Amino acid sequence: MNLNIKNLSVIYQNGSHSIQALEEVSIDIGHGKCVALVGESGSGKTTLGKACMGLLPSNASWKGRVNINGQQLENLDESVLNEMRWDKIAMVFQNRAGNLNPVHCIVDQVAEPLIQRGFSSRKQANIKAGKILEQMGVYREYLYRYPHQLSGGQLQRVLLAMAMILDPEIIILDEPTSSLDALSKLFISEIIDQFKSKGKAVLLITHDLEIAAGLADTVHVLYLGRILETLPASDLLLKPLHPYTLALGRSYPTMTTARDLGGIKGDVFYRLVHQHGRHDQDKYRHTHIQVPDSSHKDGHAPPFGCLFQSRCTQAINRCQNENVPLEKIGDHMVRCLRSGIADILSLKGVSKSYGNVPALYPTDLILKCGELFCLIGETGSGKTTLAMILAGMLKQDSGEKTFEGRDMDQWAKQEYQSLARRIGVIYQNPAESISPRFSVFEAVAEPLKIHKKAMSRESIQNGVSRVLARVRLSADPSFLKRYPHELNMGAIQRVCMARALILEPALLVADEPTSSLDPSVQAKVLKLLLDLQIELGLSMFFITHNIGLARKIGDRIGVMLAGRLVEVGPADKILSGPRHPYTQLLINSARGLVKNTFKPGSKEIKPVGCPFVSRCPRHKDLCREKSPEMVDLDYCRVRCHFPLTVDHLYEN
Amino acid sequence: MNVDLNRNIFQDTWFLTGFLLAAVFTITILVGPMLAPFDPWDMSFTPISPPCAKHLLGINDGGQDIFSELLFAIRNTVFFGLTSGLVALGVGVIIGLVAGWFGGLIDMILMRLADVLLAIPAIMILILTAALFRPSPFMLSLILAGLMWPTISKTIRAQTLAKRECLHVKAAARIGGGNWYIIRRHLMPEMFPLYLIGFASKTRMAMFMEASLAFLGLFDPTRKSLGLMIAYAVKYYYMDIWWNWLFPPILCLSLLIMTLTFLAISLEKILDPRLKSVELLSG
Repeated sequence: MNLNIKNLSVIYQNGSHSIQALEEVSIDIGHGKCVALVGESGSGKTTLGKACMGLLPSNASWKGRVNINGQQLENLDESVLNEMRWDKIAMVFQNRAGNLNPVHCIVDQVAEPLIQRGFSSRKQANIKAGKILEQMGVYREYLYRYPHQLSGGQLQRVLLAMAMILDPEIIILDEPTSSLDALSKLFISEIIDQFKSKGKAVLLITHDLEIAAGLADTVHVLYLGRILETLPASDLLLKPLHPYTLALGRSYPTMTTARDLGGIKGDVFYRLVHQHGRHDQDKYRHTHIQVPDSSHKDGHAPPFGCLFQSRCTQAINRCQNENVPLEKIGDHMVRCLRSGIADILSLKGVSKSYGNVPALYPTDLILKCGELFCLIGETGSGKTTLAMILAGMLKQDSGEKTFEGRDMDQWAKQEYQSLARRIGVIYQNPAESISPRFSVFEAVAEPLKIHKKAMSRESIQNGVSRVLARVRLSADPSFLKRYPHELNMGAIQRVCMARALILEPALLVADEPTSSLDPSVQAKVLKLLLDLQIELGLSMFFITHNIGLARKIGDRIGVMLAGRLVEVGPADKILSGPRHPYTQLLINSARGLVKNTFKPGSKEIKPVGCPFVSRCPRHKDLCREKSPEMVDLDYCRVRCHFPLTVDHLYEN
Repeated sequence: MNVDLNRNIFQDTWFLTGFLLAAVFTITILVGPMLAPFDPWDMSFTPISPPCAKHLLGINDGGQDIFSELLFAIRNTVFFGLTSGLVALGVGVIIGLVAGWFGGLIDMILMRLADVLLAIPAIMILILTAALFRPSPFMLSLILAGLMWPTISKTIRAQTLAKRECLHVKAAARIGGGNWYIIRRHLMPEMFPLYLIGFASKTRMAMFMEASLAFLGLFDPTRKSLGLMIAYAVKYYYMDIWWNWLFPPILCLSLLIMTLTFLAISLEKILDPRLKSVELLSG
């Protein structure tokens, strides 16, 4: 049994305006497969489910093909369709209590399809229904209760039992786990797994990304009725390609990510289809995107280009008017002109040495747009060197760096200023990075003045007060006239932040930006940076010694040791299961689990072999003889001959 | 190097003395010609007369009023010194900053030039040019400035080399600030104390140089100058004229030099934190 949906478009008529709920959505579900649909509310998930069941309301008009096990939905008349519902294809609706009849006890309601189709007598039907309910985890005593006497989780199970009563081959589950406790969720996901193993095709509509990632084989990310990304479920939280998928993942609280929740900038829209003109309707018919209750004039946002453009943090001019096709990238399908989340900066074999002291061995690193990358590592491991190379303050000895697709060194040679303004830097010593003879105003306005962006005094003033508001500093004249030595460290750090942000850079390189702040100011400042990340899509490169901080803010973490990146990967992967023993040592010492690791004596590191060998409890002969190479390992890259496995994690 | 000027500076006796002397001389220079009772070139008085109520310092050998002469001479000496000092400061600062900031070949060329100039004795060049070409005193002050800038530029360059490593300078360069922007906004203001000190010492040196050249007779003999007055007076040292004719120009020259010395010392102490003593701050 399988379900094929091809180019399905659904429009809800609503007076002169109509809402485009789905546009050319194609989904294939083979038997034994589970496909998840995720997206914000209003993205058309439920409409799709209903369309498959032939249950769209009368004001909906649809185009495209829905093929249920070889039969075209549009060719079937209502009576055949009715036969097929529950028998071949069943749906578990959202809004549990509303879908049950309050005056019948649950077992009767579950048994109803059996009786109605004449499969069995009421008595037998009730026995069968009881069995199924029990399988679904409803206690026997509850069978004769009424819907209002059951809890939400129990009702969900009743609905599942109802859908299963005729043993359909295709099951559509609409938010089966919302507002359920963790145990009930687990139970339901086990049931869904059973469906899969029985060879049923499951369409899972959910905004629970963890469930989608755990249960589904493929995930479709729906936005305003269009599929923006189709991806293998395991990549959903760890390696999304579309900025929208990433933003969804950031907004979702999972058990493993410790990072603070981010949102998606802007609001959800409706897509309204206008019908203008009388004669040539199609010519004047166009789609608008409207924010609910927006002050937009008639909601006339641009009808062309990418649907996500106004909320996307990496939108470029092309996104406004070009049609965006669904493009295959690896095993993903992505609807993005920039082929998914773009790289903002990439280093290839970049190395640096001071005299004959190597500070950075050839390093490869890619920073993604809108990503917060945290670099951790011991002092003297080359973190600041790497950051200064990224910021363009140091020139590498070898290797290339590319920023926004352009070679950075050439860019710097040709038009240094345009490159410099794209990268903001917050220095390790904030107080020293401002001239002591500059007042707050002069310090903050300095980048603006250098770039001649705003020449009139008034526009400079506006720019300064805007950016000061952004870093939560007051812009009143008495504050602007103060000098750095009259400010406290927290204020200086924020002035530096304002300086780094005033030119609206695409990348912020920050060397311990909060080291001198007390925890309360640090919390405020970091919140602010994360807000900027959501609003402006600011990419950030942070150096920190505070692993707890990296855990709270980092999307990805890189670990440095003796001038080498030894481990790079998603923050939660690295922190919950480090693969490099050095990372493990860092994390364990941050947790206070390690004592007395300092060994006095020479810090000499031999040119061959792993730099960690002298401290590594697991080293073998190979580690002394050969420097390990970077290897890909489960979304991370690790430079270790014998990386730790999950089993090692539990040994400690 | 931030100094609370009001609090520190006037508590320093060195500065206070220098400041008061400077004030007196400034007034003398500004209103001198008006104070002068006679035209200093008027030779109609009885030569070598002792002071009287009419002629406060008496009459010199040419029949001129010494007091009027002195007022004009101070002006000339100070103007010479100021011109030289200012020009030397300007040239020195610019060359020091450029050499320090740009470094490399520019630095090398400018500093070797400075070394050459430092090796040549200024007085010799001045005597030779004055004797050979008879330039105007203004030209001579410019020539002197051209010989004096190397010491200023050496200090400025050294300070620039230190400042260019400052994070705020590097930060301004990274964000795209041009060379002149950084020199103007970041480096120049940082070295304010050095300008004062350099200017004071060079002006002092120039004034003394002017007096020396005049004493040696390398200027127009009718020009009023402290050096020239001393030179004329010295010819009659056997007569009883030292206290009314020889002493006043010597005293004025000494006081002028002392004024600048005092100011330089006190500013150096106050503005250079390494010399800042507790005593100075509290007392």
